[in-house]
Amino acid sequence: MLIDPYIQQILISIGIGVILAQGLNIITGLTGQLSLGHAAFMSIGAFSGALLTIRTGLPLPLALLAGGVVPALAALAVGWPILRLSGDYLAICTLGFAEIVKVVFLNLELTNRAFGLTVPQPETTIPLPLLVLLAALGVTLFAQSVRSSRFGRALMAIRDDEIAAAAAGIDVASHKLQAFAVSAFLAGVGGCLYAHVLGYINPSDFGFLKSVDMLAMVVLGGLGSVPGALLGATILGAAPELLRFMATYRMLVYGAMLVALMVFRPNGLLGGINLVEFVMRRSGRPPRRTGGSP
Amino acid sequence: MTSFIRLCLVLLGICTLAACQKKDDATTAATGGDTVKIAFMGALTGDVAMYGKPTLEGMKMAAEEINAAGGVLGKKIEIIEADNRGDKQEGAALAQKFTSRDRVAAIVGDPTTGIAKVVAPIAQKAGVVMLSAGSTGPGVVEIGEYIFRNTLLDNVAIPALIDYFARDLGFRKVAMITSDNNDYSVGLSRTFSDAAKGRGIQIVADEKVKDGDKDFSAQVTNIKAKNPDVIFFSGYYTEGALIMKEARKQGMKVNMFGGDGISASTFLELGGSAVEGSVAYLGFSPEQTSGETAAFVENFKKRTGQVPEMFGAQGYDAVKLLADAMKRAGSTDPKLFRTALAQTKNFPGVSGTVTIRPNREPVKSPLCLLEVKGGKYVLKARVPVKLD
Repeated sequence: MLIDPYIQQILISIGIGVILAQGLNIITGLTGQLSLGHAAFMSIGAFSGALLTIRTGLPLPLALLAGGVVPALAALAVGWPILRLSGDYLAICTLGFAEIVKVVFLNLELTNRAFGLTVPQPETTIPLPLLVLLAALGVTLFAQSVRSSRFGRALMAIRDDEIAAAAAGIDVASHKLQAFAVSAFLAGVGGCLYAHVLGYINPSDFGFLKSVDMLAMVVLGGLGSVPGALLGATILGAAPELLRFMATYRMLVYGAMLVALMVFRPNGLLGGINLVEFVMRRSGRPPRRTGGSP
Repeated sequence: MTSFIRLCLVLLGICTLAACQKKDDATTAATGGDTVKIAFMGALTGDVAMYGKPTLEGMKMAAEEINAAGGVLGKKIEIIEADNRGDKQEGAALAQKFTSRDRVAAIVGDPTTGIAKVVAPIAQKAGVVMLSAGSTGPGVVEIGEYIFRNTLLDNVAIPALIDYFARDLGFRKVAMITSDNNDYSVGLSRTFSDAAKGRGIQIVADEKVKDGDKDFSAQVTNIKAKNPDVIFFSGYYTEGALIMKEARKQGMKVNMFGGDGISASTFLELGGSAVEGSVAYLGFSPEQTSGETAAFVENFKKRTGQVPEMFGAQGYDAVKLLADAMKRAGSTDPKLFRTALAQTKNFPGVSGTVTIRPNREPVKSPLCLLEVKGGKYVLKARVPVKLD
C-alpha cells in the first residue's frame, strides 16, 4: 500500500469514528432523541462480532453484519420501553443501559469477564484500512439517503414537533424505534470493526467517555447534518495525532478547540448549512433542486 | 445526491494525497545518524498516567547513563516519547508511528495489559522488540517471539511467598479469602491454591466475598473456627481492611497477607489498628537498598523529587535490559538482539534480578514484603525467588 502504516491507522480510527457518528446522528441528530449510551451498542457489536470470529471463523463481512444485527435487536428490546421517555429522562435511561451492558460483559464467562477478548487478525481480500474507509463511505451515503428519504423526513418532523408529526399521520413510537435500531446497527458495525482492527477488546473500552466522544463528533459537525457527522468524526479522529507536536499541552489545546468551535458555531460546523448548495453557490453555479441530473 | 458522492470522493482523495505527502517527509527524517531508538509507549496524561510517567523517567535516566558511558556499541540511545492517554486506538497509531516512521529498535511498554495486547501484534509484525514493563495479565508474550515483559508475575511470586510462610514464619494452616467478582482476585487465589500443593501448607478455609460487601462476619466466623496461622486475601484494600476489622472484633490474632491489592493508603486509613501487622508483597521497595539500587533511588529522587516506585525502576531496567541484550548480540538489529534478550540470565536490575525464561516471561527476585507498622508500610523482608 502507498500510505504508511501510521497514516493507515489514523484513517482507520477516523473511518470507525465516521460510522459511529453517522449512526448516532440518525437517532440524536435527525430524530432528536439524545442517547448517552451508544457505547453500549458498540460494545454489543464488538463482542458479538468478535465471538463469532473466534468461535466460528466467519469471514469479516458476515461478522460485521452480525455485529450490527445483534445490537439492533437489543435496541428494539430496550427502545420499546425507554423511547416513551424524552429529553433528559431518555438520556439518563440510555446512560443506565450502557452501564448495565458494561457490568454484564464484565461478569459474563462468555465474554471472558474482565480479561476481555483477543480477536485474531481477519483475513480480507481488500486491505483492512481500505475496507474501513469504504465502509465509512458506504455508511455516509446510506445516512444521506436515509435523511433524504420519506422516513428521514418523518424523523425530522418528529424532532421538530412530535405532536404536529403525529397529527400529520406519522406513527411516532414506531419511527423512533426504527431509527433507534438503525442507529444501533451502525454503532454495532463500528464496534465490530474496532474489535477486529485493534485485536483486543475489554468491556471497559466502551464506557461513558466513548458515548461522549461519539456525541462530540455529531455535535461538532452539526446535529442532523450528514456531511457534518463526517467532518466532525474526521476532525476529532485526526486532532489527537495532528496536535501531537504540542506534547503535554495536546489535550488542553484539543479541549480549547472544542470550546472555541462551540462558542463561534453553536449549531456545529455544518449545522443548518446545506453543504452541496453552499459549494455550488460559491463556485458560481446556481443551486439545483434535489433530484435533477447534473 | 450525486454532487454529495463527488464531495465524498474529493475528501477521500485529499486524505490520500495528504497521507502520501507526509510519508515523503518521514523517510528523510528516519535516516538518522548513529543512534539507536527506543520508544516509550504509555500514558503521560489521563487515568493511567501514574504508570507511564515514572516509566518514562526511569527510561530517560537509564539512557542518559548509558550515553554518558559511551552508548551501546558506540551508538547513542535516543528515547522517543509520546502520550497514548491510555487509549487503545492511540496506542495502535503510535505503535505504527514508532515502527514505520521512527524505525525504533524496541518499544518499552505499555505498562497496562490491555494496550500491550493491542501494540504487541503491530510490533511483532514489524519485527520490533516490545518489552512491556508492567503488564501482568495473560496472553501478552504469547503473541510472538518479539514480545517480552519484565515485572513480578503472580505465578512467580506466590510459590516464593508460600515457601516463606512454611520455612521462615512456620505457618501451616492458611485461610484463603477470594473476592469472586474481581478477576484479579480469582486469578490470584487460583495461583495460590495451585502453588500450595506439595509445599507443606494447608488451605483450611476457602471463603468467598464480593467487592463492595460491607459485612464479613459470616466469613470471619467460619475462618475463626478453623484456627488458621494466617489469612491470605487476594482482593483489594477496602474489603481487606474491613475483613481485618471484623477479625479483630471477633478476637482473632492472626494477620493478613495479600498482593499489591492491599498496598494502598485507603487500607491503612480504613483499617487503622486492625491492619497493623498485615503484609503486602510487591516487586520493588525503595527502602534498605544497596549498591546500584540505592544509587538509582537517590538519582531518581534528585531528578523528580519523588521516591521511585516499581514503575520507575522497571522503566530504568527495561532500557538497561535492552542495551545489555544489544551488547551481547553485538547488534542493534531487533532480529538479532531479541535472541540475546530471551537468554537474559540473572541480570542485576534495580527492580530485582531478572531472568527471562524461554517463553519470554520474566522471573524476578526478590519479592518485597511490606508490613504495616505504626500506620505505614515498612519493608519486612526481601524474599528471594528461586528458578525452578
